Amino acid sequence: MSALSRRRILFGGAAVGAGALLTACTSNEPDNSAQVNTNTDASANPNAAAGEKVIIGFSAPAADHGWLAAITNNAKAQAAAYSDVEFKAVESGTDAAAQRAAISTLIAQKPTVLVMLPADGKELDAAGLEAMKAGIPVINLDRAFPSRAAFRLQIKGDNFGMGTAAGHYIGQQLKAKGVTNPIIGEIPGIDSLELTQERSEGFKIALAEFGFKVANRRPAEFTADSGQAAATALLQALPKMDALWNHDDDQGIGVLAAIKQTSRSEFFMVGGAGSKAAIDAITKDDSVLKATVTYSPSMASSAISLARLIGQGKGMSDLVELQVPQEITLASETITKDNAAQYAKLGF
Amino acid sequence: MTTQTAPPEAPAKQQRRKLDENTLRNLGLVGVLVLLIVVGIITKPDLYSDPTWVKNNFLTILQQASAIGVVTVGMTFVIIGGGIDLSVGAIIALAGVWATTLATQSYGAGGMIFTALVVGIAVGLVNGVLISYGKLVPFIATLAMLVAARGLAAQISGKQTQVSANDTINSLASERLLGIPLLVWILGLVVAAGWVLLNRTTFGRRTVAVGGNPEAARLAGINVKRHTMLLYALSGLCCGIGAIMLTSQATSAQAAMANLYELDAIAAAIIGGTLLSGGRGTIIGALFGVLVFSTITNLFAINNLSTEVQNMVKGAIIVAAVLIQQFRYKSLTQLFKR
Amino acid sequence: MTIPSPRDGASADASTALKTDDQVPGPPVDDRGEGPGDVVLRLTDVVKTFPGVRALDGVQLEVRAGEVHCLLGQNGAGKSTLIKTLAGVHHADGGEITWLGEPFAPATPQAAMRAGIATIYQELDLVDDLSVAENAFLGHEDSRLGFTRRRSTAVRTREILSRLGHAEIPPQQAVRSLPAAGKQVVSMARALSHDARLIVMDEPSAVLAHDEVENLFRIIRELTAQGIAVIYISHRLEEIREIGDRVTVLKDGRTTAANLPARSTPTRDLVSRMTGRTIEYVFPPRRPAEQRDPLLVVEGLGRTGEFADANLTVGPGEIVGIAGLVGSGRSELLETIFGARRADAGTVTLDGKRITSVGGAVRRGMGMAPEERKSQALLLDEPVYKNMTLASFSGFAKAGFTDTNGERKAAERTAEALELRPRDVNRPIRTLSGGNQQKVVVGRWLLDDTKLLLLDEPTRGVDVGARAELYQVIHDLAERGVGVLLVSSEVPEVLGLADRVLVMREGRIIHEAPAGDIDEDAVLDLIMAGSLTTESILEGEPA
Repeated sequence: MSALSRRRILFGGAAVGAGALLTACTSNEPDNSAQVNTNTDASANPNAAAGEKVIIGFSAPAADHGWLAAITNNAKAQAAAYSDVEFKAVESGTDAAAQRAAISTLIAQKPTVLVMLPADGKELDAAGLEAMKAGIPVINLDRAFPSRAAFRLQIKGDNFGMGTAAGHYIGQQLKAKGVTNPIIGEIPGIDSLELTQERSEGFKIALAEFGFKVANRRPAEFTADSGQAAATALLQALPKMDALWNHDDDQGIGVLAAIKQTSRSEFFMVGGAGSKAAIDAITKDDSVLKATVTYSPSMASSAISLARLIGQGKGMSDLVELQVPQEITLASETITKDNAAQYAKLGF
Repeated sequence: MTTQTAPPEAPAKQQRRKLDENTLRNLGLVGVLVLLIVVGIITKPDLYSDPTWVKNNFLTILQQASAIGVVTVGMTFVIIGGGIDLSVGAIIALAGVWATTLATQSYGAGGMIFTALVVGIAVGLVNGVLISYGKLVPFIATLAMLVAARGLAAQISGKQTQVSANDTINSLASERLLGIPLLVWILGLVVAAGWVLLNRTTFGRRTVAVGGNPEAARLAGINVKRHTMLLYALSGLCCGIGAIMLTSQATSAQAAMANLYELDAIAAAIIGGTLLSGGRGTIIGALFGVLVFSTITNLFAINNLSTEVQNMVKGAIIVAAVLIQQFRYKSLTQLFKR
Repeated sequence: MTIPSPRDGASADASTALKTDDQVPGPPVDDRGEGPGDVVLRLTDVVKTFPGVRALDGVQLEVRAGEVHCLLGQNGAGKSTLIKTLAGVHHADGGEITWLGEPFAPATPQAAMRAGIATIYQELDLVDDLSVAENAFLGHEDSRLGFTRRRSTAVRTREILSRLGHAEIPPQQAVRSLPAAGKQVVSMARALSHDARLIVMDEPSAVLAHDEVENLFRIIRELTAQGIAVIYISHRLEEIREIGDRVTVLKDGRTTAANLPARSTPTRDLVSRMTGRTIEYVFPPRRPAEQRDPLLVVEGLGRTGEFADANLTVGPGEIVGIAGLVGSGRSELLETIFGARRADAGTVTLDGKRITSVGGAVRRGMGMAPEERKSQALLLDEPVYKNMTLASFSGFAKAGFTDTNGERKAAERTAEALELRPRDVNRPIRTLSGGNQQKVVVGRWLLDDTKLLLLDEPTRGVDVGARAELYQVIHDLAERGVGVLLVSSEVPEVLGLADRVLVMREGRIIHEAPAGDIDEDAVLDLIMAGSLTTESILEGEPA
C-alpha cells in the first residue's frame, strides 16, 4: 500500500519535472555545443545577466562510476560559464562519514548556496539540516533527505520513471511487431539498492500494461565485467529472447560485449542512463542497442543554475513564481535513433 | 619406558590411502558438479534436450570460470605457501586499467598484454617485499594493497570505464580454437603449468615446505623470505593474465572491475582442498572449486533464481567443504595413531 | 588421621623402586616428613601413557596442607606431565589420585581450579593487555547478567594482592607494564582468586632476578602459613633447601624417593636418585679421534640475553657434547652457529669460511637437527622421502624439475642405512615413531656432503631401542669424518657419545673436559648447583 502511494507521488513528481525540463529546454533555444546548457544570453533571458556574486559550495562522493564523474564535471563546467559564480568544490571521499566532514568544512567557508549529492540521503540528513540552520540554502541532488527542513531544493532523476519508460518502449515495439508472448530479459545494477528496485518495479508495471512480464533477471554491479557475466548467464538461460533492458549503460559495455561474443542478434536491447557511447551506438544503429532511457547527470548543471538563482533571490523566468520551486524531478526520456542527435550533448 | 613401534600398517596400503585422499576429494567435487548438472536437467529439461545448447552451456561455464580460475591458481600457491592475497581483485583492476589507457592501447595488443603482466608482477612483488622483508602480516599487507591498487586504478582511469578499442584483445573472448574458446585454452594452460610447477619443480616443493613448516624449511637452507616474495609475484602474474582475460570479455576495464574476486578465489581454493594454514593444497581441486561456483551461477541463471539465494548456497558449500575436510583430516590422523 | 606409607597399595613395580630407595644408605623415606598439616593430596601408582611413551609410570606423591613440597627430576622425568595431570590438562590412565580425601579426576582445567588446585606454569599465562584485576579473575569473571562488575572485582583483587603482600599493585594497571616478578604475583593472585588450597608452581624462579626470588619465597611462606599447600618445581637445589619442606624425586616417570627432608638430605643423595640408571644406555665403543685441524671454530660468540662469549671447536670426526638445562642458552648457541639466529658478537667459521646465514651454512656443509622435531624440522603430512630430501631436493632436480624417483631411491638407500622402520619412504612422516622421525631428520644431512652436524636433543621423545640405533648412526657419522656438535639434557648421553664435553649454565660455557675425565654426578652438579664452585663439586659435597 505504501508502495502504491509512493508510486503516485513519484508519478506526480515526474509530471511536474517534465514540465520543468520542458521550460528549461525552450528557454535554452540557442545552439549550444557545450556538454551542458549555459543560459547566458542576457538579451533573451533577464536571469542570464550578471547579478550579485554567488558562492556555490559543491560536494559529491568521489566517483567510482561514469555517471558520478559526469555529475561533478557538469557542475564545474556550468559554474564556469557564469561570471558571477564562484565555485567551491570539496573532496568528499567515498562514504557518508568522509562527506559529512567535507561538508562541515564547506559550511565554515560560508558559501551562499550549497549543492550536494549525498553518498546516502539518510546518513547526510543532519549535514543538510546543519547547513540550512547556518542560513545556507541546500540543493539536494538525486538522493533525497528524509527531513523536509534539510533542503531548499530537491532535484533528482526518476528511477521509477526509467523503468516505466523502458517498459513502455519495449511494449510498444513488441506490440508493433505483433509478438504475442515475448521473452524479455532484464539486467539490473546492484540489486540491493533502492534505486534498482524502483527501476525494476517501474519496468514490471509498464510491461504489465501490455500483458508482458520479465522472463529472467540477472543483476550486475554497474561495472562492465559484471555486466558481461550477467549477460552471458542470461543469454545462456534464454536461448531465444525478444527484448532486453539493461539498467545502466556503463555495465552495458559488458552486456554488449557478451551479446557480441555469443553472436546473438534476434532481440533488441534498451539501455539506461544515457551515456555518450550508448547514444553513439543508437545513432549508428549497428548493434542490438536500439534505445536508452535517461537518468541524466545534466541535473548537476541545472542544479548550479538554480543555485545561482536561489542565491540571487530570483525565480525561474518562465514560471510565474518569484522563487525557484522546491522540488524538481527530471523526466526519464527515451532516446532512440530518431532523437539521438538532440541528446548527443547530454551524453556522459 | 616401553619400546614403541610404528603403526603396523602395510606400506602399500598406506600409499593407496594417501593417493585416495586427493582423488577422493576431487571425486567428491566432480560428484557435486554432476549433481548440479542433474538438477539442471531435471529443472530445465527443455534446454537440456538441445545438444547444441548443452555443448554451448558447458563451454560457457568453462569460459566464465576462466579468469577467476587463473587467479585461483595463483591464490592456491600463495595459500599453500602459508599466506593469503586479498588484493587479487584490485590488482586485476589496476592491471586492466593500466593496459587500457589510450597511451597503452596505442602500442597494440602486445603492449597491452605486456603492461598488464608487468603491472601484475610488480604489484605482487610489492606485496611480497612488504610481507617477507617488511614482516607485515599477509592479511594486512594485501588488504592495504587492495585499497591502494583500486585507488590508483581510479586515479589512472579518471573514474571512467575505459573501453578497449583493440580487436585482437577483444577477440580473445569471442574466438575459438578447435571449437573451444581461447579463454578456456588459456585457463587450461595456466592450470597445467600450475600443476607442473607445484608437483614437479623445486619451486613447488619449496612452496609446500615453506607453507607446511617455515621453520623446518629455513633450517633446511631454503630461503623462505625470497620464496614467499616470489609466491606473491606469481599471484600478481596470474592477476595480470586474468586482467587481460577479463578486459577482453568486458571489452573494457575500470577501477571497480573484478569486484570481490579475492573472496571467490580463496573460497574456490579452500573447497578444492587447500588448507588455509598452508602446506597442503592441489591445483586440480582449486579448478574444480572454481567450476562448482561457475556451475552454480549457471544453474541459478537458467532457473531465474535470485542471486541472494545463490550467494547463500555458495556460502553453505564453502562451510560444508571445510567441515568435510576437517572431519576427514581428523579421522585420518586418528587412523594413523592406532 | 592416618598416614599410610607410600608403599601401601603400590604395585609391585613401584614398590621395588621405592625399596631400592630404602636400601640407599642415608635418610630413609620419612613418612612423617616435616609438613605440618593433614595430607591433602595423594597420588598412588599414577600412570599416564602417550602414544609410544609412558610418561608417568607409577608416581607416588603425598602433599600436606601448609607445606612446600618440592618435585625434583631431570628433564623428561615426568614432572610436567604430573602437574598437567593435576591441573586437568591430562588424564591419568591408571593409579589413584585423592584430593581432600575424595577420588580426584579433573576433566578440565576449570574443574581442577574449582576443586582448589591452581597451577602457575613456567610461561606465565597472562593476557598482557588486560588489567591486573581482569587477569586475576580471567575465566571466572565477577559478573551479573553478563556485565562485569568492575568495582567489586577491583576490591576483591586488592584484597588478594594485600594477602600476597603486594597491596601496592593497582588492580587497574595493565599487566603489560609490570615486571616479571609483578606478573608472577598476578598469577598467584589468580590462583588465590579461586580459593586454591594447593598451588603448583613450575619453575617459578626461572624468570626472576635474585632479589625477586626472595620476595617470591616470602609470599610462599605467607601462603603456607595460611594452610595452603605448594608443590614447588625447581632445578636449583639451593632454592629447594631454602623454601622446601619435603622433596619427592622423579625419574623416568617413577617416584624414586618420596618425602625426603628438603634441608638435610645431602645433594649427592638427591642427585643419585635422579640419575641412577635403570635403563641401560648402549653406546657404541669409540676410537679416539685423530687430532686434526678443527672444522668448526666458534670465537667469542654471543647474543644478548641468551648466551655470551662462547668459544669452542669441533674437529673432523670428533663428537663434542654440550650438557646444560633448558634455558641455559645451549639451543640458542647451536642455532646461532647454524646461522639461524644473528650473532651480536663473535664469529663462526667452518673450514675457515665465515658462516652468517642458514643458506651459507648449508652450502658449506653444515646440517642441523633442531630441538623441536615437529615444529622445526618436519613437514608432517609429507612422505618420508620428501622430508629426507628437504635440504637437498634442489640438488636432485634438473632445470628446476624435481626428480622424485631419484629422491626416492636416495631416500631408500638412507633408510636402509639408518634401519628406518618401516622402510617405506612413501608413508607420511606423521605415522612414524619419534625415533624413526629423528632418523629421517638426521638422514636428511647424510644425503648431502655434510661435514658438520649439529644435533639438538636428538633423542627427545625417542624410545630406548631407537636410541641405541641413533647413537650408532651418530657414531658411524663421526667415523666417516663428520664433525658432530651435540646438545642434550641427558647427561649420560653426552658423556657416552662425546669425545669432549662442554657444560653450559646461564648462557656461559663453564667447563670443558674430555669425556673420560668427568662423570655424570660432577656434570649434573655443575649444571644445577647455583652457588657451588666447580672445584668444591669435583672435590666432594660440602656439609
